[in-house]
Amino acid sequence: MSTDVLDLASPRATSSVRLAQVASMSRRSIMEMVRQPALLAPSLIFPLFFAALGSSSFGKATGLPGFPKVDNFLDFAAAGSIVQGVLFGSVIGGAALATDIELGFFDRLLATPTSRVGILLGRLAGAATFGAFQAFFFLLVLIPFGARVDSGVIGALVIIASAALTGVAFGGFTAAMALKTGSAEAVQGSFPLLFILLFFSSAFFPRQTMQGVYGAFANVNPVSYLVEGIRGLMIEGLTATNVAEALLVPLAIAIASIALALHTLTKRLASR
Amino acid sequence: MTILAPTSTTTGQASGGTTLRSANALAQRGLRNIGRLPAAFVPAMLMPIFQAVAFSGTFFAITRIPGFPTDRSINWYLPLACCMGSGFAGIGLGFSAIRDLETGFFDRVRMAPAPRSALLLGPLITCWVRVLIVITAVLVVGFLIGARLTDGLLGLVTLYVAGLGLATIAAGWGLGLAYRFKDMRAAALMQLVLFMALFLTNAQAPLAIMSGWLHGVARINPFTNILRLARQGFLGEVTWSNSWGGIVAIVWLSTLTIWFTNRGLAKLPK
Repeated sequence: MSTDVLDLASPRATSSVRLAQVASMSRRSIMEMVRQPALLAPSLIFPLFFAALGSSSFGKATGLPGFPKVDNFLDFAAAGSIVQGVLFGSVIGGAALATDIELGFFDRLLATPTSRVGILLGRLAGAATFGAFQAFFFLLVLIPFGARVDSGVIGALVIIASAALTGVAFGGFTAAMALKTGSAEAVQGSFPLLFILLFFSSAFFPRQTMQGVYGAFANVNPVSYLVEGIRGLMIEGLTATNVAEALLVPLAIAIASIALALHTLTKRLASR
Repeated sequence: MTILAPTSTTTGQASGGTTLRSANALAQRGLRNIGRLPAAFVPAMLMPIFQAVAFSGTFFAITRIPGFPTDRSINWYLPLACCMGSGFAGIGLGFSAIRDLETGFFDRVRMAPAPRSALLLGPLITCWVRVLIVITAVLVVGFLIGARLTDGLLGLVTLYVAGLGLATIAAGWGLGLAYRFKDMRAAALMQLVLFMALFLTNAQAPLAIMSGWLHGVARINPFTNILRLARQGFLGEVTWSNSWGGIVAIVWLSTLTIWFTNRGLAKLPK
């Protein structure tokens, strides 16, 4: 008996138990989404709807000065659709965490010997999985309609990884908001902010064609660089710069957002 | 104070007076709710402003496509934003109706000796006032960031007509669904259908520069005519040929959705 206790307390056993806890929490957060398709549908349908509208409305814009070289508008729009879907999905994850807090499930978890960080990381792992699924789904739907991934299968895998990291990046912010406010309504209220970040970026049109304040805002908006990393892999091919931009930009945002979420979690636990 | 007795000679007058008085009371309540529940109204006003600013900035370059009818992107997107705001103000009536159904207020109003037409007219008046506020707010911001009328004040008249018409159509749709579903499940359907109806048009780009499937859909979508009615004062002269299609669409669709509301109201359990 005492040997077992010692084994469990060893660093190796502790980390494997923590990993199992994160995996379990992650599985729960994914199942939560799968069981509520009505919540997921908008984050899958709306980006595709906008891409379809854009390809018909702005098809002739691809010849404008400053527009990147593309075969059709869908090539350009695909990256924006992926990031749009992942951003909207991150609100769902954050709202689910806030609902756990509202319903008292979060407190019940804290009463168990579960790792506190594991609760948060499990949620973010769920966001990463859903982000990866969204990217896969969007590519699967858009490719038959004419979108091309010039960087091939490897590029597509990098795009999926980038979407997963983007899921963590924005999932971290919405999780921090959930932990701070404990209100699903407040997290849902962040939706317009994400919408603003998305619209004042190069998600729907190139930065090079924007002027004045819009262009200046798009130039400093991190969402522009998130989208352009993925777009580079779609329309320019597999280059070290494109891969680095697609992975490092969301990674940097993810590090910042996880730090913020952990800080908020610590404050929430300290105030109990 | 005038008391209108429902005798045989005054029945019509009494009924009309009661309808107007009851509708006015319901409208006053709806307008007071703007102040009491700003969280329900303010986003509905800010969203079209955001849309006008964001669309005109993001898609600024499309004005350089040959055949685009204006060199100011805000002139193209401002009327769209006003129409979206008006449509969602109409849908907002559906949300209010659901809230009233859930809290039991609607049942109490139905027990009162108010004509059924007042239950529709009162909220509609609230909705029209909201639309006037929303369109005016969007216009003020639009003019500040560069929108210009191309045919004087007549362009404003057609824009307000289009907005009020769209709000009536959307209100009929929202209330009809609210009376059928009686809970917030109806909200997604209300918004989704309106959103699609407005975007499957020349909302983002003129028909002349559109290509593919959307061109075919937008050409037969009656909401394209309403947008044409709304936009003409910002793109050139206000003409009858650019107006009549929108007016017919408003009359036809409003009749249809208000009939849908009346049917829903009649089907509510007694």
